[in-house]
Amino acid sequence: MKLLKTFVILLVIVALFGGAMYGLNLYTGPIIEKNNAGAANDKLNAVMPGGTGYEDITATLSDLPASVTEVHKETSGLGYVILCTAESSYSTAPMEITLGVSADGKISGVEITAYNDTESFDFRAKDPNYLTSYIGQDSALADVGLVAGSTFSSTAFKNAITEAMGILIANDMIAAGVKGDDQILTELIATVAPGFTKLTEEAGIGNIQKILTAENGTGFAYIVKSGDATVLAIVNAMGVCKVYNVEGADVTAENDGVVTEVTAHAATKPNKFTDDLTAKIGRMMEGAADITPVALDTFNTVVSAASFTLDGATYYGFYARSIGFHQMDVFFVIDENGAITKMDAKQFIFDEEYFMAFGGMDVGAYKDGFVGITGETFTGDETIIATATMTSNAMKEATQDAFDAFNALKGGAQ
Amino acid sequence: MKKGTKTSYLLKGTPSALLVLGAGFVMASSHDIRAALGMGAAVLVALLLSSIVVSALHKVIPAYVKLPAYLLIITGFVSLISMFMQAHFPEIVDMLGVHLAALAVSAVIYRDAEEVADHNGEATSIKTAIVTGIFFTVVMVACALIREIVGNATLWGKPIAFMQEYKISTIAGVFGGYLVLAIVMAIINKITKLHHHLDEEEEN
Repeated sequence: MKLLKTFVILLVIVALFGGAMYGLNLYTGPIIEKNNAGAANDKLNAVMPGGTGYEDITATLSDLPASVTEVHKETSGLGYVILCTAESSYSTAPMEITLGVSADGKISGVEITAYNDTESFDFRAKDPNYLTSYIGQDSALADVGLVAGSTFSSTAFKNAITEAMGILIANDMIAAGVKGDDQILTELIATVAPGFTKLTEEAGIGNIQKILTAENGTGFAYIVKSGDATVLAIVNAMGVCKVYNVEGADVTAENDGVVTEVTAHAATKPNKFTDDLTAKIGRMMEGAADITPVALDTFNTVVSAASFTLDGATYYGFYARSIGFHQMDVFFVIDENGAITKMDAKQFIFDEEYFMAFGGMDVGAYKDGFVGITGETFTGDETIIATATMTSNAMKEATQDAFDAFNALKGGAQ
Repeated sequence: MKKGTKTSYLLKGTPSALLVLGAGFVMASSHDIRAALGMGAAVLVALLLSSIVVSALHKVIPAYVKLPAYLLIITGFVSLISMFMQAHFPEIVDMLGVHLAALAVSAVIYRDAEEVADHNGEATSIKTAIVTGIFFTVVMVACALIREIVGNATLWGKPIAFMQEYKISTIAGVFGGYLVLAIVMAIINKITKLHHHLDEEEEN
């Protein structure tokens, strides 16, 4: 009887509270569900004003690049929200981006949810209006530039946005923005002149509409009016010019006037790279004679090249200016067989306090590690400096460019 | 009733000892004023409802089954409060986390049910529950004010511009939480002793 009473009392309490919870759940359940959905949508709504609900359509899309992690469709038809990442040479981890694109193909909002590039290169601090400049743009991003002093990071960010919007275009979800000739030609520079780094823009004169100067001294790019067309002319630090049309075809031969005009402009801004290379060859290779500058039609980081003789053998010197943590000045001597005889740089490490491990680096051994490498045997691992990734990458670029310049030279001196 | 005495079981005893029983939820919610107010309201309502029910049923419930019965009652009310808060104050529930559900096994509420409601009528139980609830709310808000302003340089989650350079992050952390709680307990002890001293003088 006692046990039964206990059981009944506990049962009644449980039943009463169970009933109360059931009743309360009828009221709170839908509210909690709505709250939970709202919390998940907060991040998406931040770039899609007025968004009510979202459907994850990532799995239904084709050709998804690694940088795009999620694609959500706003259920009332407002547009799409893409979660993507961007990575530059200054990234400790990928930058995380939330991008909103309205159904008409215009950017409705963009946010960086995790910024993992070097803090001093944070383009949001350098230009507080930079993210806002993307809003209202179509996939052409015609009115969006890069941020001076944060070129690598802002380029990586812009490329990620372009890639993310490309997914919507590729899957026929939005129409592609139309790029003007100026924009197409400006974007072509990265392809035809990969060594032209950190371009600064100024207004042109005469037929030259726009002048872009590479901060590392590798050359100049010009957007030039040529008859009814607009072309891109590039002049490297050795004074060699090439002209491209909007299709990316080499039209140098048909644009003598353009070549004359832009090389004349480039000549007004001479450099000392050939003098520096000549002096360096003299120091690196004692007894070097007949040092003769060579002009190459390469548009990488090599700014000067020269041939010389020593003890009856012919050698070639190359001066490359890649950018690592700071500007690098790297010199290579390559023999007739394409093997590096010597390598030197003005400075490998610019901030020894920052690169703690550099104190233990054997600079002589590092330089000697390059001797004998050819374009065929070069893997890139030879350039690695522990704890100095950006400098290592810059050394890798400079070495590869020197071999490319050597191949161009052997293919026929200009 | 003499002035200052028998106001409640809370003030009759040692509030700082009671505070130790509730140190868990006080610590968990005293980092932010919104959380402190949310937890304070939850504690107050849980105390009040469970006291009313326990005091009404204490004669019906056999002594040997009081512990599970009271725990069921308290757990039931805490679950209902938690469901209601999840619907209407989801941000506060997020701030409190598991500590809101842990109220179900709080020694403070059980002590109130077992020591007060079980031996008194509804009026005394309700009065004690309200005083205890308000006491904890005031303590949590006082701790939260100090920890949020000094530790986080914020008030109600909003940054206080001029405080940003002077904030002491440790105060917002666990160590700072115990430190602030200890200071508040010391103040409460001082007030309580003074209160009892005045009572004794009056009685003599």
